[in-house]
Parts: sequence; C-alpha cells; structure tokens
Amino acid sequence: MSPNLKARSALAAASLLLATPALAQAPQTGAPPAQAAPPSQAEGTPPAQAQPVMTKPPELVQPVEAQYPPDALAQGLTASVRLIITIAADGTVADVLPTEPVGHGFDEAALAAVRQFRFSPAEVDGVPAPVQVEYVYHFTLNAPPEEAPGQEQVQAAPKATLTGQLISRGSRSRVAGATVRCGDDPEAPEATSDADGRFTLEVPPGECAVRVVAQGFQLYQTKEQLKENETTEVNFFLAPAAGALETVVRSERPKKEVVRRTITRQEAQRTPGTFGDPIRVIQALPGVARAPFISGELLVRGSNPGQTATMMDGVSIPILFHLLGGPSVVNAEFIDQLDFYPGGYGSQYGRAVGGIVEVGTRKGAADTFHGSVKVDVLDAGFFLEAPITDGISVAAAARRSYIDTLLPVFLPKSEGSTLSVVPRYWDYQLRVDFGAKRGANADVEAGGARSTGYVMAFGSDDQLRVVSSGPKTERDLSVDTQTLFHRIKGDWTYRKGNLTSVFTPYVGYDANSFKFGAAKQDGVGYTLGAREVLGLELSSALTVRTGMDLMYEHQSFDVEFPAPENFEYVAFPGAESVGELLVEKIGLGAFDGALFVEADLKVGKFTFTPGVRGNLQSAGDTQNLALDPRLWVRFAATERTTLKGSLGLYSQPPETFRFIDLPYGNPDLVYQRAFQSSLGVDHRLTDVLNVDVTGFFNRRFNNIVAPGQIIARTGGGVVQLPYSNEGIGRALGLEVMVKKDRASAKDKWSGWLSYTFSRSLDGRAGPKPDGGGGFGGGFGDDTDATYGLSPFDQTHILTLVSSYVLGNGWELGGRFRYTTGRPTTPLNHTYDLYQVDRNRFNGTYGPYASARTAGFHQLDVRLDKSWQFQRWTLGAYVDVQNLYNAENVEFVFNDYRQRREYEVPGIPILPVVGVKGSF
Amino acid sequence: MKALINYGSLLLLAMGAVACIDPEDQPSRVHDFRVLGVSTERPELMASTCERTPEALDALAAEVTYRALLVDPSGGGRSIQYTLWACADPEDRTCANEADRALLAEGTTGEGELTLAIHPGAARVGEDRLLLERVQEADPYKGLGGIRMPLVLRAVAGDEEVYAQKLMVFWCPVVEGMKANEQPVIPGLRVDDAPWLDGEPLELSGPGPFVVTSDDVSALEETYVVPGLRLQAVTLKEAWEISWHTTLGEFSPQETGGADFGGQQGRHRTEWEPAEGATAQDVTFWAVVRDGRGGSSWLVRRARWSP
Repeated sequence: MSPNLKARSALAAASLLLATPALAQAPQTGAPPAQAAPPSQAEGTPPAQAQPVMTKPPELVQPVEAQYPPDALAQGLTASVRLIITIAADGTVADVLPTEPVGHGFDEAALAAVRQFRFSPAEVDGVPAPVQVEYVYHFTLNAPPEEAPGQEQVQAAPKATLTGQLISRGSRSRVAGATVRCGDDPEAPEATSDADGRFTLEVPPGECAVRVVAQGFQLYQTKEQLKENETTEVNFFLAPAAGALETVVRSERPKKEVVRRTITRQEAQRTPGTFGDPIRVIQALPGVARAPFISGELLVRGSNPGQTATMMDGVSIPILFHLLGGPSVVNAEFIDQLDFYPGGYGSQYGRAVGGIVEVGTRKGAADTFHGSVKVDVLDAGFFLEAPITDGISVAAAARRSYIDTLLPVFLPKSEGSTLSVVPRYWDYQLRVDFGAKRGANADVEAGGARSTGYVMAFGSDDQLRVVSSGPKTERDLSVDTQTLFHRIKGDWTYRKGNLTSVFTPYVGYDANSFKFGAAKQDGVGYTLGAREVLGLELSSALTVRTGMDLMYEHQSFDVEFPAPENFEYVAFPGAESVGELLVEKIGLGAFDGALFVEADLKVGKFTFTPGVRGNLQSAGDTQNLALDPRLWVRFAATERTTLKGSLGLYSQPPETFRFIDLPYGNPDLVYQRAFQSSLGVDHRLTDVLNVDVTGFFNRRFNNIVAPGQIIARTGGGVVQLPYSNEGIGRALGLEVMVKKDRASAKDKWSGWLSYTFSRSLDGRAGPKPDGGGGFGGGFGDDTDATYGLSPFDQTHILTLVSSYVLGNGWELGGRFRYTTGRPTTPLNHTYDLYQVDRNRFNGTYGPYASARTAGFHQLDVRLDKSWQFQRWTLGAYVDVQNLYNAENVEFVFNDYRQRREYEVPGIPILPVVGVKGSF
Repeated sequence: MKALINYGSLLLLAMGAVACIDPEDQPSRVHDFRVLGVSTERPELMASTCERTPEALDALAAEVTYRALLVDPSGGGRSIQYTLWACADPEDRTCANEADRALLAEGTTGEGELTLAIHPGAARVGEDRLLLERVQEADPYKGLGGIRMPLVLRAVAGDEEVYAQKLMVFWCPVVEGMKANEQPVIPGLRVDDAPWLDGEPLELSGPGPFVVTSDDVSALEETYVVPGLRLQAVTLKEAWEISWHTTLGEFSPQETGGADFGGQQGRHRTEWEPAEGATAQDVTFWAVVRDGRGGSSWLVRRARWSP
C-alpha cells in the first residue's frame, strides 16, 4: 500500500459540510449553508422570546491540512477526530476541544490544523455572532492510484442517479446537511442533503453501497442497484444517535443579567419528580426554596408566593396551576425553553419584587408536519406543528383532564349520602409564525431590513364542582367554581442595521365564578397591553435599549354574599350567624405603565449596564409612582471567567381587585418594593461544564399583608383594612450552580447541582392587627412578634439532578433533594387556655420560630423508554416521587388542646406513568 | 388574587394532609379534667339607652348567674379550686394584667356544674374605674360589637389547670331593632330516632355506631339585629352549634350545626361509637349548645352500654 495521505474533513454538527469531495487532502473552502445552527442571541434582543435564527452559517474560507501523525502513518492507522469549534463573531477560531480523544497523535494534529482555520462570520438574526460547530477531521489512507483513464473514457462513462430524501427515524424531521455517497472510497462522488433533506447523487451504475453520514445520527448503510441512465428515488430513515436528542445547542446567549438560568424543553419534560411540569422544574434551581408537598409555588430568594412573575413570551400568565396545585397551565410540549431570573433582572422587566420566569414558546416546524400525543393519569393532550407555506408555520397544543370521569370510581359511596366531585380543566396554546423564510438571508432582503413575527394565543379553564347531600351528611354542601382566561398576543420584530425593535401587543379575557351555598361571585376582566423594546447598537462599545410596558385592565364583579363578619359587623367568636344577603356590583379599571431605558457600555473588560424603570399605576382615584434605578456590572476576567454584580430597586403593583372600596379593598395601597443586590462569578470549566456562584441580599418593603389595622372611618364607624402595605422582608444567601451539559449526541450524562444557603425574614412593620394576621406576619401564636424567620426559610437547599442515556431508547434520571426543615414555634404547654365561646383552645408557645421540622430529603427517579419506528416514536415513562418513601415533615399541627404536636407527613412514594407518541 | 390563590392551595394541601392524622386526644372523648361549657344567665345585658344614665348603668350592673360545666371523670371526686376574674382585654386569656382585672369569685367545688352569682357590670378596677369603661377603651371596634368583657375562670384539679375565657356582652340599642339575646336551649335529644330523656339511663348495646340527633332547633334560632361597621343595622340569624362529649368512645362529627360563609347550615346529627374492646359500663354524654353570640347551655344524658 502506497502511503498516499488522505486527510479529509467534514463538519458534521448541525452546521457545516464540505461541499466537494476531497480531491485534495485538505479541507475545502466554500462550504454551503447549513440546515440549522446553534443559536446565539445578539445583545439587545429580548431573551426567551422568538428563538434566534441563524441567518447565515459560517463557511470555511481558509482550511489548513493536518499533518498525518508519522507513527500512525507507519502503522497504517486511520482515525476520525470529533471536535467542537467555537467560531468567534469575526470568523476566527476562538476555541477547539476534542470531544472524544482518539490518541495516536491524531488529536494533536487535528487541533493544530483547525486552530488555523478561518471561517466567514456566522450571522444570527442578521447580526454577526459567535457560534459553535461540531467538526470531524478524518484521517484516512488511500489505496495506490490506478492508471488514470483517458479523457475519452471519462466522458463516455455511464451514469446513474440516486435521489431521495433523508428523514429522521421516529420523528419524520428532514435531515439536512448530511453526506450521501456510494462506498467508502474518499474519491467517490458525494451529495449533501438540502434543508428538506433532499439529495441527488450521480454515480456509475451498478450496486451502490450507500453510506449516509449526518451529525446526530447513526451511520446509515444500505445497498441500492442503480441502472444506467435511470433515476432511483428513495427515502432513507436515519436513526438518531442518542435517543430522541435531535437538537444540540451549545452556543449560549450572552448574559446581561447577573443570573439567568435556562431550562431546555428536554430538561423541562424529563426532570424527575416534576411530572414533566415545566414550572416545577424551576424549583430545582438555586435560589428557590422548596414549596410544601408537590405544590409548585415559586419561593425565590426569600420572597413570598405571588411575588415572582411568570410570563409566557412576555405576557403574564394569570394562574400557574390547574386546580390550585395541579399541573401547570403551560404545556411542556409547547415551550422552547424557560429562563429564570432569581433577581437582578433588566429594566424591561417589572411587576415583581421576587424573581421572573419567562416561558419561551416553540415555533412551529418549518420542514413538515409533526406532532405528539401524551396520556397520563390526569389528562391527555396533543401537540402539532407544521409549515403552512414558506415563511409561515403553526404550532398548537391542547390538553384536557379526565379525572372527573375517574373520580367516581374512587369516591366513597354510602346510603343516605351522595358525594359528587367534578374537577375539570383544559388549556391550549397556539402560535403562528411568519416572516422567517427558510434559507432567507438578511442580505437579500430589501434594504437589509428584516421583519419577523408571530401571533400566539393561550388560555385555560378550570372547573370544580363539589356537591355533598343527604340526610346522613353533616350538612348539604355545594361548591361550584370556574376560572377561565384567554390571552392573544402579537410579536413583531424588526431589524435593520444596528436597530432592533420588538413590539408586543396583547389582549386578555378573564372570567371567574364562585358559588358556595348562597354566596356567589361572578367576575370578568379585560386586559389590554403592549410592550415595545427598541435596541440600538451605537457602537461596538455602546448599546442602548429603551421602551415601554403598558397595561390596562378592567375588572367587574357581581357579588351576592351573606353579610360577612368583620367586614359588615363585628364577629363574635364561635358559631357564625347567617347574615342578610348583600348584592353588589363592583367595577374598577387600573392602568400600570412603565418607561424604561438601559445601556450596555463596554470599557475594556468591563460591561456596565445602568438602567432605570419608571412605573405609574392608576387605579380608580389612586395614582402611584415608583422609580427603579438599576445597575449591572460584568467583568470578563478571562475568556472563561466572568465576575458580575447588580443592585437596584424593583416594584410590584398591587392587583387591581385590591383597590376596590372599603371594606373589601383598600384604595390607598402603593407599590410593593424591593431592593435587590447580588455579586457572583461564573466560570466555564470546560465547554460543557459550568460553575456559577452568586451571593445575594434583598430587602422587601411596602409589601401587601392581610389584614391591616382597624381604623376609624371618615363619617363614622370603623373598618379593618383588608390589605395594607406593612409587609417587610429580608433575605441573604449564596447560590451555587454546577451544570454539565451533553458534549455531543454520544455523551450520555448530563445534570446539575444546585445549592443555596439562605436566611430569609418576613413579617410586617407595624403592630399585629387586632384579630390576628393573615399572610405576612401571620404567626399563629399569641406573641406580639410581627417579624421573624419566614415560614418558608430553609438554610440549606441542595438539589442534584442527573440523567443518563442507557442506550436502546432507555434513559434514566434522578433528582435528590435535601433542605433544612422549615421554622416552627414549639408548644410550651403548662395549662389549658380554653375559649369557651369558640369552643377552641389557644396554645402556649416557646419563642417564635425557635425550632424547625426535621430536614427534608427525597429521591425522585424517572425512567424513560422510547421505541422508534419508521415514521413515529412511542415513549413511555414512569416518574417515581420519593423512591425510598422518606417520611418528611411538611407541617406540624397541634391537638385540640394544644398539648401535643403532630407532624404532617409529605407525599409518600408516588409513581406516575405516562405514554407519549410523536411523529 | 394570585397570592390568595397561592396561599389557598397551600392551605388546602395542608388541610388534606391534616385530615389523614388521627390525634389520640379528641374533643368528644372526655377522659380527664375539662371545662366543657360556660353559660351566663342572662347571656347578655342590654341597657335601654346608649346614654350614660344611672338607669343604663344599673341595667348593665345587674346580677348574672354564671355556670360552668366542670367534668372530671377520672378525678375520683377530688376538689377543684376555682377563681373567676373579669378583665379588660380579650387577648389577655388569663386575665394576667392585675391592673385591669377584678376578682368576681373564688373557692373550691367538685365535679359538675359550678354556679355563681356575679355582677360583672359593676366590677371596678384601679382608681375605682368601672371595668366596663376600660373594656370599651381597649376595644378597637369602639363598642360596635357590644362591650365584650372577658370572664376568665381558672380551675385547678390536681396538677391540671384550665383557664376558660367567656365573653360577657353588654349592649345598648345602637341601631333600631336590637333586643337582648335569649339563651339557646336544646329541646331534646334522640338516639337512633328514639327520644332520649333525662333521668333513667338509656340501655344501649352493640358496637354502634348509634345515631344521635337533636330535636329541630331551627324555630328557636333567633333573627337579630346588630350595628354594622358602617353604623347601619345588620340583620343576622343564629346558626347554633352543638358540641358532643362522652366518657366512652367518641362522636363523629364532634361538633354539629353552624353555618359556613355561604350560609349553608349543618344538621345536628352525629354518630356515637363506643371504644373498641370496652366493657359494659355507665356512660355520660353532654351536648353543649352555643348560639354564636354568647348564649350557651347544655344537656346531660346517661346510658348503660354493653358490648
């Protein structure tokens, strides 16, 4: 064998492919555009909204031939070195890492060559941006050259054509950028599949040993008999290389915020113990305290429930969970990713004194019709996505519960009593995208301007009806509730040169009804809002963003209630009397608007982002103003290490219904406020392993608490304010996040470690109101303390999440959690305190929050199995909560005489199974 | 609303979980020293005018019969020491503030009904001030719920000590239509639909459960008027609650009647189930009724139960 050296290269990932077969031994220039690319967001575009699109892939313009390792050459060894190349915004190679070292000097030779490559800059949304690609450098040895045929022979050579389409097995996605060739001869003709997965290959007639190489897919081999001057049309179904992983996203959006944690759809669906619920996955991130039981409450950096805003593509989601604590109204199939900001977020965000959760929705597929159907113990749903025409795609999802049909089987039946419980819920999401034509390049559009957009609608409906009656029941009981909402939003993104504009109008409709015996409430709400974010890159060192965030809502309520005690008259302890029926019609409109501006100023390795948000709320006759200055500083210490800090003020308007007249509302409420600060460091240990350590300190003030104080009314009488701004809180802590992503489709392991050390205080600034306190200072004992440890305080919060691809369609995941027990106030019984009129006992207690429940620890495990068929995939999972059945204490309650404490255990071992089919 | 819903969901989850816990000690299972009820006759005192006249003060200073139901089934007839105070602050569950309390009675008694004649409306505290005035001063509702004077009974039996607080209500006609409360009285009880009379113990046998009901009280529940917080008249209707107690086994539910905020009233029907493995014995039952505005009374019944 003559030592003809053949070194060939191929970009395999979802990025680059060499266009022509390697007649030479070096990589080729002029690589064609890629099917898809790792997204990278340009500065100034809103995060987690429209997924960034690679409008221009990088092309290899300056290849460098690697030196064949002499020892390997002498031994006749060949190899393929798989590399991750980070291409800087200017097209130079910023970093190269081998994903799986092969040894024998091949790795070093490939690295040395690739470091000298030069690419044309990739563009994301029309802006040059850094990207990462996977690249395979092949070292092969050619057979000795045969005698070259004469020119006449070449011209007379007969031809056959193989044409067809490459389809991902199990999902029907089109596989673009794959190479198709006959045999293993490096000189053989080669074809590259286009965006629709189509290819055409011209080869000599005869048997073709087809080889298809595509990133993320197993090598596909088959044999085709090709006849002279005939075209053979085929469909090849390629098997994904590792389970159902199809998208490999390695490029990160630059972080403006001090902390932004992103959860992919895959993570949202497969994190054990979350039932595939995207909102509950957030609870596994640093800074979030564990909520009791399996409720999905977001308790972020010491804040209380309701103080973290959850939005879907920038529009607030009115309710997070079906039936109070059930599945979240966000269908996991519809999300693209979740961004979680525990604090220190940008000026364009407001209306929260805790954190922000931004649910980014999924753009419909551009290649062909896809979908999935999912069934579990509570509900069933579907997801569909398809291109309508070039540039327009649609995605839709819907879900409906069926527990109302299953519950009667489990409800107790006895003569003389009937019990009917009918819970129902459904939700839907619909998104239509337009303007992003496949393969469109910003350069070819008129004037370089580019518009994309989409219209999205989402909503949900929850109904619960409980009827209990019969002579043997304690009482006839009837409860009927419904909570319904719809939201429609538009999104128009316009880019021209260094200007980016994102305009997001939205409208909403809410309806809720509640019937409980003679008490009825029917509420209707209309919402109209818009957000405009304008970004202008004035220079490479200065980018300015400004905009407005306006919202108007009108709420009206038709109410019929028996006169409620303590609102209409002074309650006497004990049996509540039945009040005369009150009938009221209440209507109130409220406007909340904000103007904001912020700028990124780069000075050397520093990036300063000063910003300010001015808020105005007008509700009835009340007008509130709040100014929120904020500052972020980032210091890029090294290529891999960044120091970051933030401080600023944040405001959250009281909900509109709280402004209704006394005694049911308080028109004098003002903005809830918080001061947030943080300081941290982010270090990328390897390309797939990242460490983030952040300390934080927050103070909340003017927060809403209930009830307020009892005051004299103008014109006579007294009133207990139902709400007041007396709430205060403070939290400090340290968050650590270590995250390991999958390096490639072959990398089987991913996961993260999340640890939070925190101390959070909560309460109210004023004295305890007569009649006790509700939330915010509701301390449940007889002390006068109104400020102390938050009921949700957890000193240590540790979460380990891991998932491992076992192969053959199996994937195993686990989540382990340990948290410090929540504070309790211990009983200190020495005598009975009996309230005769109430027929209840008061307790005698030790110091407030001077004890804690035992620490919480739990292991959740999830096992997924997928079966890939030619055109669809069947998946099944079992998600087991609390695998080793730990008896964790959720609450402590006392016996009726307040003599002894009883621990209320949490959820025992709870397996949940589900089935999902997708195509 | 979102925050309220969030808290509501936590509360529902907690309530659901608590329902799964079965504490050993139950309100209906009387096994040690207890104060089961306190009644004042009359249940409230109403002056004829809201002006501070001698007649009005005399009406509010009228004698009141104070009754406390003391039970001590395992005490063996031991003596019970008691002290009865009136004080100014309802939040002061033990009348610990000596400056604002007046001693009404003290002494020693035995198990059963403690009956005392008292004049709480005439009680005076430091500097010879009427306690009623101190109560009114401390009232954040400025008397719109009446003047509610805490009567605190401290009862000690052996090493068991109970503070039982009852609010004594003093009214004047703030709005039209107000009238003094009348004492709620249970007209009668039935066991498995048969009348359960006072006097001869009922013979009961078997594991039960035995259905215990009260005769219909709906006609006795008063419609009454109180001043509203906006100084308007508010019309209310009583919804009596009855708590059930026994020396053997327990009742389920342990409290019946009452109304929820939707005005749905409970029916006075409960089931008594003897303790598992118990031997034949005499059993005492108490049904204590409360009208939700300070009135209270009780019935005592006995039965001879055999397995």
